[in-house]
Amino acid sequence: MYAVSADARGLDTVVNLLADVTLQPRLSDEEIEMTRMAIRFELEDLNMRPDPEPLLTEMIHAAAFRDNTVGLNRFCPVENTDKIDRDVLHSYLSSYYTPERMVLAGVGIEHEHLVECARKYLLGVEPVWGSGQGRAVDRSVAQYTGGIIKVEKDMSDVSLGPTPIPELTHIMIGLESCSFLEDDFIPFAVLNMMMGGGGSFSAGGPGKGMFTRLYLNVLNRHHWMYNATSYHHSYEDTGLLCIHASADPKQVREMVEIITREFILMAGAVGEVELERAKTQLKSMLMMNLESRPVIFEDVGRQVLATNTRKLPHELCDLISQVKPSDIKRVVTKMLHKKPAVAALGDLTDLPTYEHIQAALSSKDGRLPRLYRLFR
Amino acid sequence: MAARSVCRAGSAAGRALLWGPRPAAALLTLTRKRGAATYAQTLQNIPETQVTTLENGLRVASEESNQPTCTVGLWIEAGSRYEDTKTNGAAFFMEHMAFKGTKKRPGSAFEKEVESLGAHLNGYTSREQTAFYIKALSKDMPKVVELLSDLVQNCALEDSQIEKERGVILQELKELDSNLADVTFDYLHATAYQGTSLAHTVEGTTENIKRLTRADLASYVDIHFKAPRMVLAAAGGISHRELVDAAKQHFTGAPLTHKGDSVPTLKHCRFTGSEIRARDDALPLAHIALAVEGPGWADPDNVVLNVANAIIGRYDRTFGGGTNQSSKLATLAVKHNLCHSFEPFNTSYSDTGLFGFHFVSDPLSVDDMMFCAQGEWMRLCTSTTESEVTRAKNYLRNAMVAQLDGTTRVCENIGSHLLHYGRRIPLEEWDARISAVDARMVRDVCSKYIYDKCPALAAVGPVEQLLDYNRIRSGMYWVRL
Repeated sequence: MYAVSADARGLDTVVNLLADVTLQPRLSDEEIEMTRMAIRFELEDLNMRPDPEPLLTEMIHAAAFRDNTVGLNRFCPVENTDKIDRDVLHSYLSSYYTPERMVLAGVGIEHEHLVECARKYLLGVEPVWGSGQGRAVDRSVAQYTGGIIKVEKDMSDVSLGPTPIPELTHIMIGLESCSFLEDDFIPFAVLNMMMGGGGSFSAGGPGKGMFTRLYLNVLNRHHWMYNATSYHHSYEDTGLLCIHASADPKQVREMVEIITREFILMAGAVGEVELERAKTQLKSMLMMNLESRPVIFEDVGRQVLATNTRKLPHELCDLISQVKPSDIKRVVTKMLHKKPAVAALGDLTDLPTYEHIQAALSSKDGRLPRLYRLFR
Repeated sequence: MAARSVCRAGSAAGRALLWGPRPAAALLTLTRKRGAATYAQTLQNIPETQVTTLENGLRVASEESNQPTCTVGLWIEAGSRYEDTKTNGAAFFMEHMAFKGTKKRPGSAFEKEVESLGAHLNGYTSREQTAFYIKALSKDMPKVVELLSDLVQNCALEDSQIEKERGVILQELKELDSNLADVTFDYLHATAYQGTSLAHTVEGTTENIKRLTRADLASYVDIHFKAPRMVLAAAGGISHRELVDAAKQHFTGAPLTHKGDSVPTLKHCRFTGSEIRARDDALPLAHIALAVEGPGWADPDNVVLNVANAIIGRYDRTFGGGTNQSSKLATLAVKHNLCHSFEPFNTSYSDTGLFGFHFVSDPLSVDDMMFCAQGEWMRLCTSTTESEVTRAKNYLRNAMVAQLDGTTRVCENIGSHLLHYGRRIPLEEWDARISAVDARMVRDVCSKYIYDKCPALAAVGPVEQLLDYNRIRSGMYWVRL
């Protein structure tokens, strides 16, 4: 997505700039070299941070959709930065920067004016990589595979300042949910809101989910857990609901068991009050986020690109209001039938095996299988 | 082409705006061809901020804008500047206690009610101002006003909660120590305003947090949370009339009026050119902040200083664009690998301010970066060009408008303007003031505050390469024939 925020007087200039940037980039060797450096800095920065969430997100996607579509790395891996040059970029651009794959979206301007500018600057322009047929576009559908990705990393000294941060092991367990085009997307969103969670240190104030399940059942009961948060990623043809948890390396086994039990409990009884609260919070969050122009803009662009129309916020609110406990139960039962995806980062000596985690998620109570030791 | 002529008309209209109520007709005719609203029309069409003052001194202000959501908040003239060395930290402690139960809603009932409304409650404390605000659906506005009034008048201050929060705050202090940029700014205040109450950190000292009692907190609330020092601000899908009615209903209790003579006043905080270095060679990066004394909030020089900061620009090494940056200092930083990031700042208080820049760099580039940054300051004082001023003004105007995105930002804008300026300054006026700035004004105002002045310097980390204060002081002027 290429976005520009500007004064409405400059619409002409802005569309001209966008057209120039997307269709006729110079991509000189010097520019490519500078970008390689900036990318290396960004990757270094990512690895140095105490908060591993972006890394874990990459890992869980790679685990869930092994080697295909959504599972491929979003950040350029360090090994590939040198291999990418102008020809590689041109071949990518010729396949994917084609008119039928682009949407020009604007907020705060008149539609006719935007169309006029689009006609002037985007119609009939020859892109810099020539107009020959690109390689066939990759139209593969996302294949959910499930699986596990483990990264052993020394997390004993991740603090950037003088105060030490305790050593933690992070795990993320996920299951396939559904795409944002399906009807079940709304129940999954409500479920995600109901699970909620966050850091054990501070919820961040009332309104940030301090009465959600992951807080009430997990963080408030087990004070050694540093963090338990639920995330829902949704794409055009698939989705992933996952829970991230972190704790001291010696308690990894207990932590995994608590999370698998929470997954199983999702399929159990859903309280009326709890469900209402989650629905109200989801509707609130939706409306509050849409106050901001960049968010409205992204919403319009994404929905039109995926579905050629746009569902208005109040329609979504109505759909949210109609979610019932039986809907939640239905989507969770469907979700629990799939193979889990697991990502683990840090000191992994006590991590249960993938087979054990899978067994826990298909059992009735979510407990890990007992470890039998021959020598007591 | 059209843009340039609109800019020229803009400065003429700007002068007109400052003296008269209506803009020059020329501005409107130039752009009548377009169907959508023009920039000038949009600025004029922003609904006016309505302000009502209640009998007890509480100011109620709002901007109505037909939306499904709203933000309502209380902005209070209280903060760490009003504390003394023994009570430093009370404001921050109070912010933590505010959400932990009131007499009407004990324990976690308060938080649960906010959660069930789907609302978000937030607060912050700074040196001169404390704020509590709630984002909610517009239909819930009366409930939200009642929640805010409960929070500020009936805080329960339960002993068990106080002890629990004590531990939480001590932990938070430890975490804040890892944020070196904030640590550097705290050191900067500690040295620039040494011996005055602006030198205090907002969070307080560890001994104070360990020692503060229920009585200290109750006395803090009693002195500062009074109606004449508060502004109830709101933005979004609410009606001003209903807001005032709700305020009259909930905000006229006895706790909100000052007892007799106890209105706190602010003493002037003197600025001292000085330095503080917390050298630690074990840290990987050096954080340096350099500042001169700037003007207080209400001084019109602030507009020019903000334009100057827009010329200095900001930079982070993950910015794309390499040496093609609009900021001259950023181009130098990329070319010679001077720093990881830098940004200028203009922090204002009611009667003083800090105007300066902060940068993060490797231990061996500290001297070069400081040299280039001070060089940029000297260049601003002597040879600013019209074209860079024009670009900076456009950037600043855009930033100002773009920042007011969403009900929370607008609400905060209303609350803080009423506390700082006594009125909400509309975007039209900002636009006019910014348009009136030219290169000569930037040179004059920068020279007034920067040239040959004693700065305050704070440095944290591996700062061996940072030269001594006398050398840095001599970088504040040029010897010229």
